[in-house]
Amino acid sequence: MDFSFTPDQTLLKNSARAFLDEHCKPATVRLLWDDPRGESEAMWKEMAQLGWLGLSLPEGHGGSGLGMVESALLLEELGRAAYPGPYWPTALVATAIAEAGTEAQKKRWLAAIATGDARGALALLDADLDWNPESIATRAEKTTTGWSVTGLKRYVAWGHVADVLLVPARTPEGVSLFLVDPAAAGLSSSPVMSMDPGTRLAHLTLERVPVRNDDVLGAPGSATPRLGRLLRRAGAGAAAEMLGAARRCLDMAVGYAKVREQFGQPIGSFQAIRHKCAEMLLETENSHSAVYYAAWALDAGAEDAENAASIAKAYTGDASRKVCGEAIQVHGGIGFTWEYDLHMYFKRAKALEAQYGDAEYHRELVLDAVAR
Amino acid sequence: MDLNYSPEDRAFREKTRRWLEANVPTEDLKTLAERKVWHRKLYEAGYVGMLWPQEYGGWGATAMQQAIVQDEMARIQAPPAINGLGIGFIGPTIIVHGTEAQKQRYLKKMLTAEEIWCQLYSEPNAGSDLAGLKTRAEDAGDHFVVNGQKIWTSSGPIADWGILLARTDPKIAKHKGISCVLLNMRQPGVEVRPLKQLTGHSLFSEVFMTNARADKSDLIGKLNEGWAIAQTTLGYERGGNSLGRVTRYAIAFKQLVKATKQLRRNGKPLIEDAAVRSKMGKLYAELEVQRYAGLRVLSALNKGESPGAASSITKLSYTEFEKRYYEQALEILGPWGQVMTAREEFEEIDTASGEAGTWATAFLWARAGTIYSGSSEIQKNIIGERVLGLPKEVRADRMKA
Repeated sequence: MDFSFTPDQTLLKNSARAFLDEHCKPATVRLLWDDPRGESEAMWKEMAQLGWLGLSLPEGHGGSGLGMVESALLLEELGRAAYPGPYWPTALVATAIAEAGTEAQKKRWLAAIATGDARGALALLDADLDWNPESIATRAEKTTTGWSVTGLKRYVAWGHVADVLLVPARTPEGVSLFLVDPAAAGLSSSPVMSMDPGTRLAHLTLERVPVRNDDVLGAPGSATPRLGRLLRRAGAGAAAEMLGAARRCLDMAVGYAKVREQFGQPIGSFQAIRHKCAEMLLETENSHSAVYYAAWALDAGAEDAENAASIAKAYTGDASRKVCGEAIQVHGGIGFTWEYDLHMYFKRAKALEAQYGDAEYHRELVLDAVAR
Repeated sequence: MDLNYSPEDRAFREKTRRWLEANVPTEDLKTLAERKVWHRKLYEAGYVGMLWPQEYGGWGATAMQQAIVQDEMARIQAPPAINGLGIGFIGPTIIVHGTEAQKQRYLKKMLTAEEIWCQLYSEPNAGSDLAGLKTRAEDAGDHFVVNGQKIWTSSGPIADWGILLARTDPKIAKHKGISCVLLNMRQPGVEVRPLKQLTGHSLFSEVFMTNARADKSDLIGKLNEGWAIAQTTLGYERGGNSLGRVTRYAIAFKQLVKATKQLRRNGKPLIEDAAVRSKMGKLYAELEVQRYAGLRVLSALNKGESPGAASSITKLSYTEFEKRYYEQALEILGPWGQVMTAREEFEEIDTASGEAGTWATAFLWARAGTIYSGSSEIQKNIIGERVLGLPKEVRADRMKA
C-alpha cells in the first residue's frame, strides 16, 4: 500500500511544471485567448518532443506505454497552467483507437498523434445535451461505399483544429463509433464562444457525411460500453486538470493573504480568511485523494475503478468550483479584474465541470452501481 | 503508487477475520466487567496497543496492521476495546515524556484495562482556549495539592487515573505556567458527576478536585512545561482508525439503501425518487472520498511519516462529513429516521461513538465530532497557521504575554 508517487512519476510532474512555467506562462495563455486558433502549434510540437502526446499509447505506436496516474500528473500540471489546447481530447481519441482500432486505424493515427502531426476531438453531445451514450440521436446509414452520417454535434471541444473526430452515431446494430474527417463533404462547423477562452468549442452539423467502412471504430453497435468507459477515463482526467486549477488558486489565495494588509494586519491573520483557506486546502487535498485513487484504480483494473473515476469527476468538480471561487473572494476586488490571472483557472475548472458528464450524471452512475 | 494490499497484509487480514469470527461475543456486553473481559481478550490476541513498543507491553505492529484490525472489527461489528483515551493518547504521551518509573508503573495496566484512564483538560472557562485553565496544583513538598474543576471528561465515572493539566505558576504567561501530572481518581478529594448529553447518554462528566493529592513523582516532563506536552497529546496521530471508520459509514449506507427501498413516497420506493437519488449519490461519493483520503494517510503512517498538523485536515474532514452524512440521511428518511429505539434490523447502525444505535442517535452524536479534540474552528486555525503558514492572529492574550 503506497499512495505516494514513484521517482519517475515525480520526475514527470516536475519536468511538466518546469516546462509549463517557462512555455505556458499566464501571459502566454492570454495571447492564446486572443488567438483565432486558440492554441500554439509550437507548444504542441514541444509537447510531442517531451513524449506527452504519446504518454499512454503503446510503445509499438510511438508511445511511452504509461498509465492513467502519469496522465493525471501531467493533466494536473496542465490545469495548474490553464493550458489552452486539445491535449486531453486528443489523448482520449488516441486511447479509443488504441483500444478498439484495427491495425490499419492504429497505423494511420497513433504515431501521427504521438509526433504531434494529428489532433483529435470528441463529438459526444447531440442536440439534447445528454451524456448517456444511449441517448445518441445522430444517425448513420449504410451506403454502397460505407456509411452516411447525419446529425448535430454540440459543444465539441477543439473541433475546429481536429484532424479526426470521434463521432458516435446510431446504426441498426445500436450505437457505433465513427472516425470522421472534419474536412469531409457535408460537415460544417461553427465556433461557440465559451466562458473559458482556453477551451474552444464548435457546433458541428453533419449532413449525409460519407464515412468509409475502414473508419468504423470497433464492431458496429458495440459503442455504448466503450463510450461509458471513455467517459469515466475522460472524467478522471478532467478531474486531474480541475485539481491543478484548484491548487493554483489555493496557492495564489494563501500567498495573497500573507501579504495583503487591512486594518494594519495581513488579512490571513483574520479567522474569516484563514478558515476559508483551510477549507480550500481540505477540498483540494480530498480532490487529490480522489483523482489519484481513481487513476490508480483505472491502471490496476480495480473492481471499483469505474465508480472511482466518476466519484473523482463529481467530487473534484464541486471542490474546484468552490476553491477557485473562494480564491477570488479572498482577493477581493483585484480578484474580479481581467488583469489578475485568477479567472483563468476559475474558468477552466468551471468549463471542465460541464464536460464529460457533470457531477449529477456521474453520481447517478455510481449510485446505480452500488444501490442495486 | 500501488494501493494493493501486500500479501502479508492480506494474510494478516485473513487471520484477524478468522480470530474475530471465532471470538466476538454473541451477546451484547452490558457491564464494565464484561467489557474488560472482552478488552483483555483483544489485548492478548495482539489487537490492542498494537503500535506501542514491545518493551511496554505493546505489539510493535505496523500502522497498516492496526488499520486492518479496526476495519475488520467494524466489518463484523465487534464491540470496541475500552480505555481508548489511555491507549490512544495518554499512554503514548507517557512513553514520550514519562520517566522509566512512570512507564513501568502505568503502561501495562493501561493496556490491559486493569486501570481506566481519563483526560482532565477542559474547564468550564477553558475550552478552545485551553491554556486559560484555572485549576491549581500547589507545591506541598513531595506532592501537589490540586483544586479546581474539569469538564467534558469522558469515562470520568469509571476512571482510575487521569492525566491532568493544572496551573503551577499563576504569575507567568498563561501558556508557560502549566504542568502535566497524573492524578489518582480514587481519592476523597476527587468527585465525579456525570453529565447528561443531548443524546440522553452520560458518557462524560464534570470532575471536582478539592485539596486532591498528586505525587510529584507523577509529574510528566518538567515543571511548568505541561503546555508543550498537551500539544503532543492533542496532535497524536489519528490515522489508525481511518479504515474502520469508513467501513462503519459503508455499513450504514447499505442500511440506508435498504431503508429507501422499503419506505415509499408518492406511490413508489424512496430510492426511485430523483431528489433522494441525488442526495444518496452525493453521500456515497463523499463517503468514498473519505476512504481514499484514509488510505493516503495510512500509506504515509505506514512509511513512518508523521502527519503532524496535517492530521487536523483528517479530523476536520471526517467530522464535518459525518454531520452532513447523518443530516442528509435524516432528510431522506423523514420522521422514520428520528426514532431512538430500533425495531427492525435496518434501523440499527453504528453511530459515531462506535456503539450501535438508530439513525437518530447517529445524527445527534455527529454534533460532538466537530467539537471534541479541538473544534472545527480550532482545526482550521491549526491548518491555517501550521500547514499553510498564514500569519498568527492578533489576540488580546498574546498581546499581554
